[in-house]
Amino acid sequence: MLDLETRERAASPERERIVEALIEIAAERGYAETTVELILERAGLDRPAFDRHFRGKYDCFLSAWQEMNEGCMREMLEAYNSQDEWPDRLRAVACEIVERLSNDADRATFAVEVLAAGDAARARRDMTMRVIASLIDAGRNEMDDPESVPHTTAEALAGSAYGQVYAKVVRGQADELPNLVPQLMSAAVMPYLGIDAGLAELSRDFDPSARYGRDVAKKSSSRKSGEPNVAADDYPPELARLPPGRHGLPREFVVHNQRERLIAGLAEAIAENGYSGTTIAHITRHAAVSRRTFYEHFSSKDECFVAAYDTVMEQLQERVSAGFESTDDWPHAVRAGISAMLEFLAAEPHLARLCMVEALVAGPVVVERYDAAIQSFVPYFQTGREGRPPEVLARLSPTTEEALVGGMVSLISRRIIAGKAEDLEELLPDLVEFTLTPYLGSEEASKVAAEKD
Amino acid sequence: MEKGYRAVTVADIVRRAGIARNTFYENFSSKEDCFLAASEFAVKEALRRVVDAASKVDSWPARVNAGLSAFLHYVSSEPALARTCIVEALSAGPAAVDRYERSIQAFVPLFRMGRKVSSKGEELPTTLEETIVGGIFWILYQRIIMGQTEQIEELLPELVEFALTPYLGAESAKRIAAEAPPTPTAS
Repeated sequence: MLDLETRERAASPERERIVEALIEIAAERGYAETTVELILERAGLDRPAFDRHFRGKYDCFLSAWQEMNEGCMREMLEAYNSQDEWPDRLRAVACEIVERLSNDADRATFAVEVLAAGDAARARRDMTMRVIASLIDAGRNEMDDPESVPHTTAEALAGSAYGQVYAKVVRGQADELPNLVPQLMSAAVMPYLGIDAGLAELSRDFDPSARYGRDVAKKSSSRKSGEPNVAADDYPPELARLPPGRHGLPREFVVHNQRERLIAGLAEAIAENGYSGTTIAHITRHAAVSRRTFYEHFSSKDECFVAAYDTVMEQLQERVSAGFESTDDWPHAVRAGISAMLEFLAAEPHLARLCMVEALVAGPVVVERYDAAIQSFVPYFQTGREGRPPEVLARLSPTTEEALVGGMVSLISRRIIAGKAEDLEELLPDLVEFTLTPYLGSEEASKVAAEKD
Repeated sequence: MEKGYRAVTVADIVRRAGIARNTFYENFSSKEDCFLAASEFAVKEALRRVVDAASKVDSWPARVNAGLSAFLHYVSSEPALARTCIVEALSAGPAAVDRYERSIQAFVPLFRMGRKVSSKGEELPTTLEETIVGGIFWILYQRIIMGQTEQIEELLPELVEFALTPYLGAESAKRIAAEAPPTPTAS
C-alpha cells in the first residue's frame, strides 16, 4: 500500500517530483552532499527519468533555482500591483516574500544552499535582487524632486534586506522574519518619504492579507495564466500617463541561413520555456532544422545562447548608434537613440526578453557581456556634458551616466518581465525626460520629451 | 581568493603561502577557520583606519564622512581581501554567515552613535544600523563582482548620504555628503 504522501507524489508530473525531492534533500544535506541517487530514491524514480529532464545535478539545481526565482518575481509583481500607493505596494512585496520563506523552510534553505553551485546561481539571485531594487526605487516618483535620492540607495536597501533575511534563514530562524518586515520597511521608506513616514512603518503589523486589499478575485484569477496581471494603469504614475498604442513593424529579424534560423529558434524556445527549461530539441523544432545541423553550428545550448546574444546586441547597438547619429543636436540625438532602442525591442519581444532578461540568468559569461553592453551606452550620455555651464557640470556626479543607463534598463526590463515588451515605445517620453533632466533641467527636458516624431 | 571560497582547497592555500600542510593545521583547524582569520584581520584593520580618520574631526556626521572615506579607500586598495570578506561571505553558504554578521556588527556601534544627534534617536528602527552597514557592503559587493574596484571611492557622497539620511533628514545628509572629507592617505 502506498502511503498518502507517496501517492500524492506519484500523481504529480515526473519533473516536478524530481524538483520537490531535490529541494528536500538539498535542505537536509546541503549542495555538496546532494546526489542524483538520493534525489531519485526520495522521488521514487529511476535514472532514465532523471536524464529525461536534467543533464546532471548542477543542471537540476540551477533549473529549480531558476524556476523559484521566476515564480518569486511573478508573485512580487502581483503583490506590488495589488496596492495603489507606493509604500503599500512595497509592504505587500515584503510580506509576500517573508510569508513564502517562513512557511516553506525547505525552499528557504534551498535558496541558501544553491549558492554553492557557483556564479550562475549567484547571478540568478542578483537578477531577482535588481528587480526588488527597482521596486524600492519607484519611491522616488513620490518625491517633489525625484532625482534627489542617489540611485545606489535602493540597491543598498534591497541588498541589506537580503543579508538580514539570509542570516535568519541560515540560523533556522525563518519564523522570526515577520518581525523584520516593519524594520526593513521603515528604513526603506525614509530616504523617499522622510523620517516620520519611516517611523510610522514601525507601528504597522505584518499582514500578508493586506496585499489583497484591492480586487481580490481579479488578481488571484490571473495566477493560472503564468504571467503577472499587470495592466498599464497598474504601473507607477509616471508610466501610466502614457497614451496606449503600438506601431507595428514588419518582422525584421528575417532569417536567411541555418545559423540565423537556430538563433531565432532559440529566442522563440526561450520565450516559451525560459532559459533553463529550453532544450536543444526545443530549439531545433522552432528552427525547423535537424539536431545534426544544430551541432554543426554550436556545441551546446550555452554556445548558441551566446551567439544569439551577441547577434541581438550587435543589431541593437547598430540601431541606437544610427539613431543617435541622425542629428547633431545632442538632446534630439539622445531621443532618437532611445527611440531606436525601444522600437527594436518592441518589434522583437522574444529577442528583447532574451537580451534584457534571460541574459542575466544564463551564466557568468553572458552576464559579463550584458554588463559590457550596458556600459556601451554610457558614452552617448557623456557627450551631453560638452558645453554645459559650470553649475550644471557641478551637479553631475562621475556616475551620473551609469545611473541613467541603469535606471533606463531597469524600467525597460521591468516591462519585459511583465510581458509588456510590445508596449515599450510608450516609455519614450519618460525615458527622454528622465535622461535629459540632469543636463538640461526639467523644463527643457520635458519639452524635448513631449515632441512628436 | 581568486577562485572563490568553495573552490579553494587547503592545498591551494599552502601552495600559495609556501608552507607545509602541517604548518597550516598547526595554525588553523579548517579552511573556514582560515577564512575567518583573514576576515577578522581585515575587519580589524578597516576599523582601525576608520576610527583613526574619524577621530580627526569633531561632529558625528563629519566622522561618518571621514570614516567611510577611509573605509572605501581601504577596500579599493585591498580588493582580494574585500572579496573574501564581502563577496564570498554572501555566497559561501551557512559556514560563512557568522563571518558576514561579525563584519557587519563591527561597524554597527559607529553608526549607532548617530542616534544621539538625531531628534528621533530613540524611535528609529532597531536594525537600522545593520541595514546601513549591510547596504554599504552590498553596494561594494556588486562593484567588486563587476570588476569596478577602481570606482569604489567615487561612491563616497552617495553612501554618506544613504547612511546619514535616517538620522539627519535628506537635506542635511546631502549637504554633509557634498563636503570633501580629509584625504584618507594622510593617516
